[in-house]
Amino acid sequence: MPRIGVYVCHCGLNIAGVVDVEKVADYAGKLKDVVVARHYVYMCSETGQRMIKEDIKAHNLDRVVIATCSPRMHEETFRKTVAEAGLNPYLLEIVNLREHVSWVHSEEPEKATEKAKDLVKMGVARVKLLEPLEKRRVSVEKKVLVVGGGIAGIQASLDLADAGFRVYLVEKTPSIGGRMAQLDKTFPTLDCSACILTPKMVDVARHPNITLLTNSEVTNVSGFVGNYEVSVIKKPRYVDEQKCVGCELCTQVCPVKIPDEFNEGLSQTRAISIYSPYAVPKIAIINPNHCLRLKYDKDVCGKCLSACEAKAINFAQQPEEFMLKVGAIILAVGAEVFDASKMPELGYKRYKNVISNIEFERILNASGPTKGEIFSPQSGVSPKTVVFVQCVGSRDKRFHEYCCRVGCMATLKQAILVREKLGKNVKIYVCFNDMRAFGKGYDEFYRRARELEIEFVAGLPSDIRSAPDGSLYFDVYDKGTNKLLEIKPDLIVLANGLVPNRDLGKISALFHVSRSADGFLLEAHPKLRPLESLTAGIFIAGSCQGPKDIPDTVAQASGAAAKVIDLLMSGVIELEPLTAVIDKNLCSGCQICESLCPFSAIEMKKETVEGVEKVKAEIVEAMCQGCGLCVSACPTKAIKMQHYTDEQFLAQVEACCSEEKTRRGR
Amino acid sequence: MNVGLTDLMSMAKPNIEAREKFLSKLGNKELVNCFQCLKCTSGCTALKLLELKPHEIVKLVNLGFVDELASSDIIWTCVTCLKCVQRCPQKASPYHIIMVLRNMAVEKEVQIPEEYLKAFSRILETGLAEASQEVSTRKMEVFDRESLNLPKINFPRESFQAVFMKIMEEK
Amino acid sequence: MKVPVFWGCRILTSQYAYEMSVREVFQKLNIELVDLSETNCCGDPIKSVKDSAANYLAIRVLALANATGLDGLLVPCNRCHFAISEAKNVLNKNKNLDEKIKGLLREEGLEYNSYIKIWHVIDFLHDFIGLESIKKATQKPLKDLRLATHVGCQIIRYSDLGRVDNAENPRKLDELVEIIGAKTVDYAEKLDCCGAPLMYSHPSSALSLAGTKIKALQSLGVDGLVISCPDCGLMFDFRQKDAMATVGAKVNLPVIYYTQLLGLALNVEVEKLGLHLNQSPVEQLLMKISA
Repeated sequence: MPRIGVYVCHCGLNIAGVVDVEKVADYAGKLKDVVVARHYVYMCSETGQRMIKEDIKAHNLDRVVIATCSPRMHEETFRKTVAEAGLNPYLLEIVNLREHVSWVHSEEPEKATEKAKDLVKMGVARVKLLEPLEKRRVSVEKKVLVVGGGIAGIQASLDLADAGFRVYLVEKTPSIGGRMAQLDKTFPTLDCSACILTPKMVDVARHPNITLLTNSEVTNVSGFVGNYEVSVIKKPRYVDEQKCVGCELCTQVCPVKIPDEFNEGLSQTRAISIYSPYAVPKIAIINPNHCLRLKYDKDVCGKCLSACEAKAINFAQQPEEFMLKVGAIILAVGAEVFDASKMPELGYKRYKNVISNIEFERILNASGPTKGEIFSPQSGVSPKTVVFVQCVGSRDKRFHEYCCRVGCMATLKQAILVREKLGKNVKIYVCFNDMRAFGKGYDEFYRRARELEIEFVAGLPSDIRSAPDGSLYFDVYDKGTNKLLEIKPDLIVLANGLVPNRDLGKISALFHVSRSADGFLLEAHPKLRPLESLTAGIFIAGSCQGPKDIPDTVAQASGAAAKVIDLLMSGVIELEPLTAVIDKNLCSGCQICESLCPFSAIEMKKETVEGVEKVKAEIVEAMCQGCGLCVSACPTKAIKMQHYTDEQFLAQVEACCSEEKTRRGR
Repeated sequence: MNVGLTDLMSMAKPNIEAREKFLSKLGNKELVNCFQCLKCTSGCTALKLLELKPHEIVKLVNLGFVDELASSDIIWTCVTCLKCVQRCPQKASPYHIIMVLRNMAVEKEVQIPEEYLKAFSRILETGLAEASQEVSTRKMEVFDRESLNLPKINFPRESFQAVFMKIMEEK
Repeated sequence: MKVPVFWGCRILTSQYAYEMSVREVFQKLNIELVDLSETNCCGDPIKSVKDSAANYLAIRVLALANATGLDGLLVPCNRCHFAISEAKNVLNKNKNLDEKIKGLLREEGLEYNSYIKIWHVIDFLHDFIGLESIKKATQKPLKDLRLATHVGCQIIRYSDLGRVDNAENPRKLDELVEIIGAKTVDYAEKLDCCGAPLMYSHPSSALSLAGTKIKALQSLGVDGLVISCPDCGLMFDFRQKDAMATVGAKVNLPVIYYTQLLGLALNVEVEKLGLHLNQSPVEQLLMKISA
């Protein structure tokens, strides 16, 4: 005979404000097999939990039903509570009286109370049929894969490596550093970006616990939390990493000019070159799509071969494949910049004097295409009027609805740098919708810009026009003066927003991480779990989760590293026992379940039964996520879901529809 | 014509009912998304010559000054170039708002530009909004459809007038 | 191949050159234009008065097209094209109005078919007939001509409705001009409105808008402006003199319908294209072509 305790929570007024919790507790107390029924203000509190534990002991309870908020909130908490009192934690049933009753039926308290009673009755019916279960323990690899070598990936790698974990840092481009390496100064301090970043880049290269794989990509992921198997392909540089000394003699002799990707196409580099100033590793790389010898597969050119004193060039270099076993993965693949040619009315890629913020960043940079000098692309001389246009591609239902978060601050920084470099002889305007300077020191930075007599125009232009001689002009209505301003700039910098990395589709499929509606990677909970994906063991950090600035990126990176350390520290993890179980005697070997399982958690195993070789399905417990697909698909009903059996559900249905219901008001 | 917006606004008070009625006529609520970026006004064809500020119209409707707008002359300055519809980042579409305000002006029997009423009469009588014209060449010779060997216009059948009036008179 | 055509009001009552040139050119390209059994205003002026009635008029046009039993409807006027496209869209979303209008149509024995594809002259020539076919049919390529195009407003905006060409960078009319041998120029005012819809309430401002654009074009030194809408024709060609007077400039710009230009390339006689009816100084342009 089961001995059930029922606890009805008021949840302050959240539940009690609508549901008559006393009546519900009273009703519960009269149900068969319910030995004790109570109600209390906050069941999850110290007092509430103590109440339950004492009752378990005092009344010899072997089942507990708690009617409270959503199990997503406190099921874990209450499982620990009953476990502390000696009861198996899976002999607990949570009935949701908040999200399913008080929050949705707030206008009808009487009916809500009746519904609450019914739900409790159903909970009692189910709890009787629950079985004790044990969490499963699996050992884990104390190694971590970090995908993406920008500041997020770099920070996470250093934190993990310092904590004693082996880290594999995989970066798609030939050098780590990401976006931050492209920046000139950073807001709000105007620190030189390279100066604060390069020491960390060097640390990564030197750290004994970090294996740096540049020019590499992940090609396959299998396994489960604590035990991932990842295939990485390292694409050939055609340069021997052990021999190259980074002298760049090869670059000087190469005849093939290609657009310099690091400089956003504003300058040219050669088919063999070092990816960026301060590249880590500082090793040359040959672009196989442009190098004459590699593109045409002929014995031509070869000038770099003769120039290289270290004899590091190897046209026969093959890609390398690695199979890595890791316990956790951090995705830090970053974001891209909006392509403003999608808004032809602003003149980007039509008029020379209209450029993007990332292009301007390279121009401002002393190691960029103009050695840090600012001039109007059309005329080649210093601009007299510079205009920044905000919200390009962001806060726009036609492109991306979200605010890019960094556009305002990046523009303030660039505008201040223009003032510092060109002095008083330049007029600087910022056309904005809202100025968002939300962080520490940010609004002070905005004030600094105003003090430098940068003019802020509260209004956005509709279009940018070019006169026949190539000079630009546009109209913008200003809210402050209620006047239409006619401005003739010689340089326009568009504040293009950050957009999801074009590889996110591939990443999403490879790692089984979802994307949110805005296209970025989806976190497990927007407020309380921003660094975890919905797949156990895979974490996200930096602007792949959403556009953000460097301080937030670094915070997220360290946070994700801490979460990984937390997960893998003990060398063992516990997994929920809410998995499918197959009765081999009923399994016909039809393989329907194996073909349906989205987590590849079912394997077909050969077995000899009475001398006959048969194929039977087997659940890989560690990978099973308890989705129930196989359970419903199995034609012989050989599969059962632990903690969610058919009998348990049918008992709830029975309780809901049974005769007792007609005897109301007892 | 009728009154300027500034005068109408001088003692105006917001009217929530009028705003609700307006929103149901418009059929969508995107205008509440307007965040006053001023892009529409910056590019408005009618701004320089006629001082039309679409952002102001959207804001005024949102705040409940529908009646004042419907009675004003400013709503008849819109050129219907549709640039504001195309470029608004929140799809608030000032053009559609202005058209509903015009319909409201007609309902309230405020004085509207005569040409619209003349066009209506012509459509009622002939089915077309314009009357056939004679045109002259650069050499001052005069032609019409017939002399240009263009086919006769097939005016609508008799039943057209009554059916058209039906929908015009409906509430 | 037969295509029904809806001319609207402006073309039928004053912009005869456009109608003449469309008829001639389509015939040369082996398309038989079928006039509707009867016609009515597309409802554009009524939008400002009562939009449900305006939608009714537009849908009535589609019902008349439906009655021909043929596919598609050619609408050479920009404003009619927009009015009918929007009416279609409104009825898709508003079930009440859809039923009401269908009921009214039934009273006249007419039936609305929402699947009729609405064409403008520009996309019909560019997308349906195709640039290659036009090139093949060209007998007298118009070399040495430097032209500007004005595609208008209501056939490129607003994109969500599905329009004839890209709203911010319309190229179809330019490509149609280039395929017959001429060169086109890009210019800052390209997407600016001719002002025609303002003629009802503020005629002098409307003419000023047209005049401003023509003045800008004149300073570019182009041989002519190519248009494809009767209302733009009204402003830039018919009333060029008045438009230039409001901005204090001389009349100097030949304005020609694309179909008139195409007709010349297809070797149609000048009179059949209505070129004697253009009020702007098209002789300048014609002389350059025959030179």
